[in-house]
Amino acid sequence: MEILPLMAFGGAIITYLLGKISHRLRDGFAVSVSWLLVVLVAFFYGTQVCTTYYSGFFGLPFILRMNSLSWLFAIMIAMLGALSITFSLSYMKGREKTNFYYLMMLLVNASMLGVVLSGDLVSFYIFWEIMSWTTFLLISYNRGPAIAAGMKYIVMSIIGSISMLIGIFSLYASYGTFDMSGVGAGIASASSGYILFILILFSITFGIKNAIMPLHTWLPDAHSEAPTPFSAVLSGILIKMGTYGLLLFMYVIVGSKLLFSLGSGILSFQYILCIIASITIVIPTFIAVLQTDAKRVLAWSSIGQVGYIILGIAFGTSLSFAGGMFHFFNHALFKALLFFTVGAVAYQTKSRDLNSLGGLAKRMPVTFIASLIGIFALIGIPLTNGFVSKWLIYKSLILEGSPFLAFAALIGTWGTILYSYKLIHNMFLGQLPEKYKNVKKAPLSMQIPMVILSGGILLFGILPGIPLKVINGIGTSLGFESLSVTMGGYTSETGALNIINILAVMVVAGVLVWLFFRAGGKSKRVAQVSSYGAGASVPTDKYHYTAEFYDPFSRMIKPYFRDVIDDFYNWIAKGARETFDHVRHLYTGDVGHYAIYIVLFLAFLILVSLVWFL
Amino acid sequence: MIWETVEIIATPVLAFLIGIFFLGLSRKIMARIHWRYGPPITQPIIDIIKLFYQRSVSHGVIFDMGVLLSLAGSIAVVLLIPLGGMHALSSSGGLLLILYIMLLMPLGVALSSGEGANPNISIGISRKLILSLGYEVPLILILLTLMTRYNTISIAEIVSQQEATGWAMFSVPLFISGIAYFLILPAILGLKPFDVVSALQEISSGPEVEYGGKYLALLTIDHAFALFIGIALFVDLFLGGASNPLFFFIKMLLVFILCLFINAVFPRFRIDQAIKYLWKWPTALALAGLIATSFMW
Repeated sequence: MEILPLMAFGGAIITYLLGKISHRLRDGFAVSVSWLLVVLVAFFYGTQVCTTYYSGFFGLPFILRMNSLSWLFAIMIAMLGALSITFSLSYMKGREKTNFYYLMMLLVNASMLGVVLSGDLVSFYIFWEIMSWTTFLLISYNRGPAIAAGMKYIVMSIIGSISMLIGIFSLYASYGTFDMSGVGAGIASASSGYILFILILFSITFGIKNAIMPLHTWLPDAHSEAPTPFSAVLSGILIKMGTYGLLLFMYVIVGSKLLFSLGSGILSFQYILCIIASITIVIPTFIAVLQTDAKRVLAWSSIGQVGYIILGIAFGTSLSFAGGMFHFFNHALFKALLFFTVGAVAYQTKSRDLNSLGGLAKRMPVTFIASLIGIFALIGIPLTNGFVSKWLIYKSLILEGSPFLAFAALIGTWGTILYSYKLIHNMFLGQLPEKYKNVKKAPLSMQIPMVILSGGILLFGILPGIPLKVINGIGTSLGFESLSVTMGGYTSETGALNIINILAVMVVAGVLVWLFFRAGGKSKRVAQVSSYGAGASVPTDKYHYTAEFYDPFSRMIKPYFRDVIDDFYNWIAKGARETFDHVRHLYTGDVGHYAIYIVLFLAFLILVSLVWFL
Repeated sequence: MIWETVEIIATPVLAFLIGIFFLGLSRKIMARIHWRYGPPITQPIIDIIKLFYQRSVSHGVIFDMGVLLSLAGSIAVVLLIPLGGMHALSSSGGLLLILYIMLLMPLGVALSSGEGANPNISIGISRKLILSLGYEVPLILILLTLMTRYNTISIAEIVSQQEATGWAMFSVPLFISGIAYFLILPAILGLKPFDVVSALQEISSGPEVEYGGKYLALLTIDHAFALFIGIALFVDLFLGGASNPLFFFIKMLLVFILCLFINAVFPRFRIDQAIKYLWKWPTALALAGLIATSFMW
């Protein structure tokens, strides 16, 4: 059991040391250690281990445990870690401080593994902090504006950590243990007010990491500044550590029975979380439509998609829980894939500006196909995994009588179509600008992760039964009813899902249409501009109409979709800075002034004591 | 088993015939309203056959595949919609699946035409996606109302429940949603005043501007299916479907002719006007319907 964190942390440090000797050696070692970790984690499938080590911090027990929930998170962490390290090989080539970069990337993965494997609150907190700080260092890796983005992240993260620390100490004061199962046993008899207090404290921590509205403001900046392979990890799995934390506290420590008894109807903990989640779906989705930087689009989209995950998990029926968990799994796959494709395009063109790219489909075919599959999964087109998870969430929302939550979720999807189509159209379709005529296709080490992720999306989209079986196991271990999962979806009296049918229909229809198409008149390949210009020469780079793709719509919604919360936080930060600037003027450097301060302070104390005692 | 196979084959064929008949009929009726004689009703079929054997130009693999994807998507949707007692595959995912698979049509055409360099294409695609967001807002509300009311996500189940309790269009409070659906139907079908996507006089048919020969033939077939799907959904959801294809066809015909009358007399909205309209009255009605259904009845 201890081999997993040992190998993850040890691998990170050895990678750094090897980098001092040779970059080639370091790259090889980093890739092999991260893939080895995937294999090792995979071996733990289905095991329930809980090991206690007493040699830990201040004689406190250090508990590592593995169950079905942490296995799913651990395998995703290891998988995305390995893929992003592979992707980094060519992406980071020739940059400065690559040793530091690899050390941090491996440390982030190691600390995330630590978070999901730890069985007591102290080690949970320590791993959580390592994760936060390495994330900070990676976000600010590019210097310049990246430092500001990193600062924003770390300030919010520290607020979250403080909140968590208060929660942990409060739990220790009440139950005298840091062990999660011990705390769980203790909290079963606590008053509902105290449970709510603990849940809210931890929700702040996890909400910040998860970028739930209104705690999301660090994420768009962080993504647009961070190195792309890390963006994939950040969006794919790191923000989901917040989801893991919520799951841990809501369903493992507090338990579903107690959780559902907190309040009733609309005024209950879980329903309010649902409402927050649906706001988190709708607003960021429309803000994403307004963005023109490809990575910013994806960053806002991540916030929106996290909303689905939280909505599914918080709604708390076995169907919606499965949907939320499955969406977590899917989002990790397709969002990492999309970040990789944007990274590959940015690597080859040095641009992420959606108003100036275009026509790259023929130059970078693999990247194009991967990104097509990615946006199909993001939208939730049938036969990709995103469809199944959204379908499960919608179905449970509709049939459990929450049509308004379902409306928020569905509208989010239609906004998603707008920005994700813009992403693919403005990068890969339309006119190819003159300056990108000689763009080469992505290097092999970038294509491999993209192909693996695309394959996964299609595989789990056509056979959703594979991950759903694992998720169903998690659900039943947390006290949800078991679903009748089949290979192609699931069966139920109120409406089943059978992807195999859909696949058969699509394949047969596709083949028939293709045969029909073949039977028609011959078609001739012509260059892009020849049918448009009808043979006449078309001035290049003059008619690029993908710029401002949704202009009429953007102009309509822009006034309503500003990030007001970010403005508010910035206003507080500015106010605080100004106040402290004034406070600084107290320190004049003149000894006489300091003497007066001391006298005044003594006078004040004397006055207080006089008033107090008389 | 045999009957099911027959249904699966017959449904797309019937849908195609109905759609193509509607395409021809619409030209005839429009011409008569304009005091012209108009082409024969079989004109679209003649066009398809002629275009199909013509030589054409293509921009590459995506150009071909996008059209195929769109058409395959249409056929899949048709199979999921009950057509007058024939439920080919309508129980493998319900309305939510239909809602999602319907996306393949615009996305396929958008991907395919995106390979061209014509600015009209980009404008047309952008308009199509914005317009579909416009009508999806009320449409989703309407579908949610129905699914809440009948407590199912299966379209076949909605149809069979209406057989027992009467048409949704004439029941309280679902008639509110029915009116909202009828108001957005022209936008779904791409008829005036919502024909911003093709807008012949402005952007010379938008995304389809570079299609010719068999590509245009396939797109015409796609149009026929789209026409069928838009109206058939309305008939199934609000007019109680039908027990046999003939009655289903008659109901569809009535709805379509009503839409044509609107089409004949209205000018065209700008895209932002279209969104403003769609998000005002139809959405307000649809929302009222949903509130009434979930809180009062």
